[in-house]
Amino acid sequence: MPELELGGNTYEVDEDGFLQQLDKWNPQFAQDYAPLEGIDGELTEDHWKLINYIRDYYEEYGIAPMIRKLCKDCKFKLKYIYEMFPSGPAKGACKLAGLSKPTGCV
Amino acid sequence: MKRQTIRLKDISKSSEQMVELNPADFMRLPYPYDTVDSEPAFKQLTEEQKKKYEVSVDGVVALSLPRPETKAEEDELVRKFLSGLGKLLTKENNWTFLQPLSLTLEYCAKCQTCNDACPIYTGSGKQEIYRPTYRSEILRMIYNKYLKRGGKALAKFTGNDIDLNWTTVARLAELAYRCTLCRRCAQTCPMGVDNGLVTHELRKLFSQEMGIAPIELHSSGSMKHLKDGSSTGLIPVALKDTVEFLEDDIKDRTGLDIKFPMDKEGADILLIHNAGEFLAWPENPMAFAIIFEAAGLNWTLSSQSIGYDAVNYGLWYDDVQLARVALKHAQIAKELGVKKIVIGECGHAHKAISVIADRVITGELNIPRESCMTLLEDIVLNGKLNLDPKRNDFPVTLHDPCNLVRLMGVVKPQRNILNKICPQFREMEPHGVKNYCCGGGSGFAIMPSMNFPDWRSSVSGRMKFKQILDAFQDVIDPNIRKMVCAPCSNCKGGIREILSYYDAWEKTGIAYTGLVEFIVNAMVDIGEPYIEWPDEM
Repeated sequence: MPELELGGNTYEVDEDGFLQQLDKWNPQFAQDYAPLEGIDGELTEDHWKLINYIRDYYEEYGIAPMIRKLCKDCKFKLKYIYEMFPSGPAKGACKLAGLSKPTGCV
Repeated sequence: MKRQTIRLKDISKSSEQMVELNPADFMRLPYPYDTVDSEPAFKQLTEEQKKKYEVSVDGVVALSLPRPETKAEEDELVRKFLSGLGKLLTKENNWTFLQPLSLTLEYCAKCQTCNDACPIYTGSGKQEIYRPTYRSEILRMIYNKYLKRGGKALAKFTGNDIDLNWTTVARLAELAYRCTLCRRCAQTCPMGVDNGLVTHELRKLFSQEMGIAPIELHSSGSMKHLKDGSSTGLIPVALKDTVEFLEDDIKDRTGLDIKFPMDKEGADILLIHNAGEFLAWPENPMAFAIIFEAAGLNWTLSSQSIGYDAVNYGLWYDDVQLARVALKHAQIAKELGVKKIVIGECGHAHKAISVIADRVITGELNIPRESCMTLLEDIVLNGKLNLDPKRNDFPVTLHDPCNLVRLMGVVKPQRNILNKICPQFREMEPHGVKNYCCGGGSGFAIMPSMNFPDWRSSVSGRMKFKQILDAFQDVIDPNIRKMVCAPCSNCKGGIREILSYYDAWEKTGIAYTGLVEFIVNAMVDIGEPYIEWPDEM
């Protein structure tokens, strides 16, 4: 499994950079990963709102929330999510939230 | 620069890569992608990935096949390959596909008529290694030399002098994932030879005998489906939450109070969606519910593990996995006592349970299966809904999923619907049974790792993108919004990725959706337009 060094910590990730051990996630991981996803500077309150929403949903249901639900519950337009996470909700926000790569026909 | 010539025997000769892909060689696309610089940069693998995986076909990775560490390991894999090939050719081990496979191995006249029918071969700019007959001819040589009596002694004289080593086997494994099983080649063959089947049988050999299959199709695909209830990881409790959300969303958007019927015993119809719809395209199951309720159908969904995910990835690579999932689908329908199963907008699920599994689900389990297309056609054409086509007054074209058209013959219902409710509907050319694959067929749409997505969007999906652009050339201005109807989850995934890879919404105003969305969009009783465009989300 490839390893990724971020801010002095080493994480196991898959070939596309998704964290492999969910329990190794910490807020610092998200902050340190942000520049690799094209996000400059400190993560904002809205970034955290989205990341925490994704993590809470995952904890309860074992999957990432559908984008429609995420937009509705967080009251964000999809366009705004792309502004915050340039690679989008699935490839960007979920990656920073420490989830593994989505599976199945999604 | 002149491209190097590739011969059949080159597959056995160790080299860094058989071919270097260069977008400048690819088939030209129509405006506004008619220059080489409009082609996005093709992602290259890292040096580490190149060392770790078998990449020596074309520098693209579908299988993440690790390189064996010792010669003994290599030899063992080669031995397994050969014994597996032997098994494919015995009726005890391969009663389902033995006959067409044997005919294909014996009767190809090498006329190469099929090559021009292949969207990957033509889309790539005629890369030799992608022609449909390339892998078949190699397999035939291996069979003739290593499995036929006296084959080795005669190999030099019969033209079958191929070296079966690990390089050959590893490259055949990767090459089995450079074909989308669309079977245009089989359709065009004057002899009835099925080179698509050769790909399928190779994948089967690799999976069933050697444990080699793409992670996305096997461990996080069909295995996950059997274990968690859905290859998406949607467990029953998550489905419940999802369905509740969809009910609320229907209410918010249309004012309609709709409850999704769950596990309704004795219903006329058990509707099974590809579970990807719930997560990635929830407007699709919502539209189904709106239409079925408005038409007064007696229907249900299943909340049972596996019963709410119609996918059957085994169809693409493993007969055992196919049978496991198909049996489960049939058992769930049987237990509910429904009159028939209706398959939602998912092409491969159609073919898996309607056609291929027909001899697996026998006796009482052989519950009637119907495509959603014919059912929807009946609803739309026979006036069961109040529809106003003017609500769909924008350019629309239809993508034909291979599994529905060429491989099952379900051709007219979907276009009869669009002809009735979309005034600016125009066909792609060619279409119907002569359609081209979305490029994501046979599982490619759900294989997002390393540089495979780039290959899929720019090579295997190239012909589809060309067709879409051609269909809209008269309205290609990005200010004119237009829609591709793709009535299949896998195809929607494939087309979504092509459009995104080429930035097509911004550059040409092309978006995509399923079929039921157009029907609900035309429903007079729904106030707001149902179809959402990318700039409205």
